[in-house]
Amino acid sequence: MPQSKALAFALVAPALLFLAATLGWPLVQAVQLSLQDVRVIGAPGNFVGLDNYERVLANPAFWSAARLSLVWVVANAVLQTALALAVALVLNEKFPGVRIARTWVILTWIVPTVVVVVIWRWLFSTSGGMINPLLIQAGIVERPVGFFATPWTALATLVFINSWRWFPFIALMMLAGLTRIPDELYEAARIDGASPWQRFRRITWPLLAPTLGVLAVIGTLLSFNVFDIIWLLTSGGPAGGSRTLPVLIYETAFKGYRLSEAATISVLATLMLMAFAIVATRALDRSDDR
Amino acid sequence: MKNILKLALATTMLMPAAALAQDAVEVTLWHMEQPPHRVARVQELIDAFNAANPGIVVKQEPQNWGEVYAKTPAALAAGQGPDMLFAIPDFTPILKDIGALTSVEDFVKELDEKHDFVDSTVEAYSYDGGVWAVPLYNMAMNLWYRKSVLEAAGVEVPTTWDEWRAAAEKLSVDGVSGMGLPANKQLYTDQTVYSVMVNGGATEIYNEDGTLRFDNPETVGAYEFYTDLHQFSPADSTSWTWGEAEACFSSQTCAMVMQFSVIATYDTQAEGDASDLGVAAIPSKDGGEHNTISYANAVMLLSTDEAKMEASKKFVSFLLEPENYGRFLNMEPGLFMPVTADGAEAETFWSDPMVEKYREQIETVIENSQNGRLFGFTSGRTFPSIAAISAQNIIAETLQSIVVSGQSAAEAVAAGQARMEEVAQ
Repeated sequence: MPQSKALAFALVAPALLFLAATLGWPLVQAVQLSLQDVRVIGAPGNFVGLDNYERVLANPAFWSAARLSLVWVVANAVLQTALALAVALVLNEKFPGVRIARTWVILTWIVPTVVVVVIWRWLFSTSGGMINPLLIQAGIVERPVGFFATPWTALATLVFINSWRWFPFIALMMLAGLTRIPDELYEAARIDGASPWQRFRRITWPLLAPTLGVLAVIGTLLSFNVFDIIWLLTSGGPAGGSRTLPVLIYETAFKGYRLSEAATISVLATLMLMAFAIVATRALDRSDDR
Repeated sequence: MKNILKLALATTMLMPAAALAQDAVEVTLWHMEQPPHRVARVQELIDAFNAANPGIVVKQEPQNWGEVYAKTPAALAAGQGPDMLFAIPDFTPILKDIGALTSVEDFVKELDEKHDFVDSTVEAYSYDGGVWAVPLYNMAMNLWYRKSVLEAAGVEVPTTWDEWRAAAEKLSVDGVSGMGLPANKQLYTDQTVYSVMVNGGATEIYNEDGTLRFDNPETVGAYEFYTDLHQFSPADSTSWTWGEAEACFSSQTCAMVMQFSVIATYDTQAEGDASDLGVAAIPSKDGGEHNTISYANAVMLLSTDEAKMEASKKFVSFLLEPENYGRFLNMEPGLFMPVTADGAEAETFWSDPMVEKYREQIETVIENSQNGRLFGFTSGRTFPSIAAISAQNIIAETLQSIVVSGQSAAEAVAAGQARMEEVAQ
């Protein structure tokens, strides 16, 4: 082995070992657990082969949660990208106070989740909340609306709150991408008589696409794993209408006392995410090559 | 030189204490009363106990209800578990199943002779030939209202289901919901639904042989009534926990609510007029005996070390002594009710300013709690599956199938029994 290669391995080794200890080992444990019939932490289990996988894959609750996870990820991606892009484009302009705006926009992202939940719970409440009286005064509704009352309104409200929380982070990433686009390109386009829309479509969008691609992969993985906001606001309800895979895993392990079954769902979810990450990374590589 | 002498003197003075601490039996208490004022009150009692018992050192480590079910078996498996652990009845089968519990029947009998436990509180922990925890305090569901609101509407305090529905309908005016009822898949809904079930003849969910009898006409009737009453609840009550119901009552958006207690929020966040706060037993189907759900919180003794077990028993005995017990219960005045006869008369209980102010209401709550029941713990035959049924809130889930998904009560109850059978496997 050439000396430089050996040095490279030596330098990377600590990080790889750390990853193996913090990611690889728990994953091995999860797989091992998924092949047993452990119900409660600390209780002994017997080897049951692939029984848990059979049971989970035959359970409609698993597929319902997988479908909801997909809806959750796509809805969050669309809303967060739209909000973040709009804000990033505004913050990329030069106007008085832009520096302050760039700092303050991140506020919703740094607020602790529990505070976010308390704020929105109160805002949407029918007892003393602000949003219902505003909607009634504006003549939009006649009676207070239960935002978490039906499966679809609950999911839509959760997507809105989660996007509200996360879009500043994505906006800042996009802003970083926007600042890398040379001003000369816009100036040349202006001289050629390109309209703002044409400048966006021909310059901004194609040059921002690689950043958007990376954000899509990271955002999907982050959104998929969101548990706290959903659990604290709806616990996966009503009637399972917001029970995504992470919520199902928690419910199965700590409410249903089926630790091995929960580990099985975790392993399946990990496989889904790994498959997505591999496909998405390859797609990004191909687009970079072009 | 002077400083060295001071140091030597201090060391000499501290040595006996250090030696004593080394010899003392150390016992750890896990409880889930996390609010700082409750932790402080428990610490006051621990300090008093430790001072009176030099050979024992009790330490408290407050835990979270959301985590403790998963954390305890793991901690016990790792040899890091507590010696005493607060519990509600459905927690005990989990630990009993993994062999972490021994019966405290003799100890409970001894305490019963001295303090006279409310029978239903011991019953909830008595099954499989043993008693698995020592009852400490009780919480029972009640119907709360404002006397002035009912009077203004010309409504009598309801005692039957028909009167209850009529009252809720009449009180639903001008943006006010006549009856605040939760329909969330959550413990609070389990509690309110079961409070209706026990007043409609659907107390038992198990047959004697351990098979489930949830799917029966009485249960279906109770769900039909609850669903009918729920139409007078706020639109967001499908996501309610206890806090939202209390907020609804405090803000006068709900005319009546079912709750263990609203005293603290009513006193601090609403009018606080004790003479206007009404509390009644949960109405029964035909006006017969009024029952309710009650949670007798208890303490499990987990130590396998004889000295630690004795120290734990000594501490529990100390807590139940009337001169300490009232202070213990009043870590949250108006919420925690006594489980012993002498505790219910303890001067330390009734002398708290909040308890004094709402004495009339608290006496009614104590009276209501005498008929307390808890699903799965009603007949002295408790089956381990109740832990999973309770933890997965299947009683509440069944209600959501009706209120949210539009199933009929009969369909939902049949599906509920199927779910219970599934999780019981």
